[in-house]
Amino acid sequence: MTTATMADPPAASFGSETSQYPTHDHRGSWVPNGAMIATRFMELRKRRGLMVALILVNIGVPTVFLTVRLLAHAFAPHSYGPAGGYDIFTSLVAGVMFVFGFIVAATLGCTAGSVDLTEGMFRHLVVTGRSRLALYLARIPAGLAIIVPLVAVGFTIVCAVCVFAAPTQLSYQGVIVPPGLSHTAFETWGADHADEVICNFNYNGPITALVNCGNGPGGGPSTRVAPGGAVPQPTSPAVDRAQAVKIADQDYVDYSGHFLSPSISLMVKAGLWIELYAAIGFLVGLGLASLMGQRTVPVILLIVLEIVLTPLLSRADIPHVVNLQRGLVGLATTHLEPAGLPSVFGGMRGGGGGVGMVTESSTVAICVIVGWIVVWTTLGAWRMVTRDA
Amino acid sequence: MSATSVEEVAPSRAAKSPWAVETHGLTKRFKDNVAVDGVELLVPRGCAFGYLGPNGAGKTTLIRVLLGLTHADAGTMSLLGYPVPRHRDLALARTGAIVDEARFHGHLTGRQNLQILAAAREPAARTRIGASLERVGIAHRADDKVSKYSMGMRQRLGVAACLLGDPQLLILDEPMNGLDPAGMLEIREMIQSLVAEGRTVVLSSHLLDEVERTCDAVAIVDRGKVIRQGPIADLLSGSAFELQIDCATPERAGALLAGTQWGANVQVGPDGLRVDLAAGTDREVAAEVNRLLVEGGVSVYRLQEVHASLESWFLEVTTRLGASQ
Repeated sequence: MTTATMADPPAASFGSETSQYPTHDHRGSWVPNGAMIATRFMELRKRRGLMVALILVNIGVPTVFLTVRLLAHAFAPHSYGPAGGYDIFTSLVAGVMFVFGFIVAATLGCTAGSVDLTEGMFRHLVVTGRSRLALYLARIPAGLAIIVPLVAVGFTIVCAVCVFAAPTQLSYQGVIVPPGLSHTAFETWGADHADEVICNFNYNGPITALVNCGNGPGGGPSTRVAPGGAVPQPTSPAVDRAQAVKIADQDYVDYSGHFLSPSISLMVKAGLWIELYAAIGFLVGLGLASLMGQRTVPVILLIVLEIVLTPLLSRADIPHVVNLQRGLVGLATTHLEPAGLPSVFGGMRGGGGGVGMVTESSTVAICVIVGWIVVWTTLGAWRMVTRDA
Repeated sequence: MSATSVEEVAPSRAAKSPWAVETHGLTKRFKDNVAVDGVELLVPRGCAFGYLGPNGAGKTTLIRVLLGLTHADAGTMSLLGYPVPRHRDLALARTGAIVDEARFHGHLTGRQNLQILAAAREPAARTRIGASLERVGIAHRADDKVSKYSMGMRQRLGVAACLLGDPQLLILDEPMNGLDPAGMLEIREMIQSLVAEGRTVVLSSHLLDEVERTCDAVAIVDRGKVIRQGPIADLLSGSAFELQIDCATPERAGALLAGTQWGANVQVGPDGLRVDLAAGTDREVAAEVNRLLVEGGVSVYRLQEVHASLESWFLEVTTRLGASQ
């Protein structure tokens, strides 16, 4: 190499301003500062199309559903029941908000994890000398500051309608029943309404009473027939009352799970539960998109995971891969579902994951959730730190 | 990960090195392709330094390595006296750079993009946003979305982003791309004013004319290697030049010079004649030629040394290198 001499470089001569190094600036630190989080929040919030889509899915869908029910009930109260109530609440929370909250959060996470790279800002940010890890971590509080209120607003609307537009009478198996009865009071009420109980309530056992349920051929009298097919003989009121008490006794557990409106305790637990799942969705989306360096494919993968794989693998107890099934974050989160909500991914009613799903202890479920958060955050941060900008 | 406080070591370390950029044996490979091949580069502080090379020569790769956008495979480097990547945060605290095409979040305004970048720097950077936008001449469009900016405006925004950190060193990769002639002139003047303030500007470009007008020193890179570097005047003084002679009787002048040692290099034209002189030829030759012509009865109206431009010198150097390989 031929090198012309530059042995006498000019002495450094900066003005008073340029000679000062930034003070109190720990830019090698992995901890993001408040301004980084605030500007990252601004960058995400200003994505108008994304925000509209997220609001439509997370707030718009339940709002439209409840508005239609409110209007239908207002115009035809005999044909359409009240818009709110306990059943509507549990169905919306477990059926819509849980799943859509995850998808919305994952979409936001994938956006936060990839746009700097795809839009050319990552290079500018790296050149500031700021720790790449801090750049990654700044996205977490910024994204959560969007997704948590978004889910909370949708959930609050659902809670408000379900409480304030709840039915005034409890309809249990087609019969108007006073809400909140104790076991004894329910049996007493059953004895007092023996005909309705015998004709309408589910009962698994022999029925010794014969009552006129008024739904026979040609509108004539009919009897409640026991599952065995034997037709009981006409009975006295005392026998009917005894039969009704038996039926009420058997159905009490199911009845006790029916309320006019959701309790505050259930709403709080359900709210925290769907927020937890939304936060998981955001963090997984952030890590996956950062790892892959793009948004579209990670979003599709997470939607497939949530809509297809998790429901399928949660119900089928497949030999040899049951531990893999237990590793699904959706299934693990379902096992932390508050009691009183129906199972998200199928199975029978009841908290704790529902009957018929792959079993998993709460401890394992928590470990799976923590594992998903830690693994995806670590992978995303690692790729961010090692990626060529 | 430990954080190093900038104020702990910065002023003393930064003041010691006379070089804004210093690399030794810097190498970067992409599989079998050596993009940066043992580069030895010394960029003095307080000057405009051009990093010249044809497309694919490895200019941008070297800049990316210097800035920590990608890792080096071998060699050492330092920015403003700080070894990189060990003290990358300290080095980049006072470095501004645009690499390749300046791209930003299109859905945000220019000002909002700068706010994001300023947040990653020291708190004082947030107070420089307005001044930076003013300086690059886009303050009036600062609150428009970047998606509505022309390429030239995005380029200016890129320069504004560089200025947020009050940089001692600016590394600009093809800053003239997308600019109209007036814009190029403005950027050139801005670079000169930055240098006048004592800052160092490293300008990577293939626009030789712009580099010649803007820079004090250059390095020529080809196939990943720095093949020449130094002050432009020094580099060009070592190149061939020609003597242009405007005279009354070019044919007679040509005949007079034909018998001299320069006779083979004389070309006669209708308005005069031209004598090609080798690199390192003494300037006394011009006086000697003039004396010969005057004593031979030729009226000389004008006699001028014309040195090679950076462009012709660059082509000469790179062509020679290409032929030798």
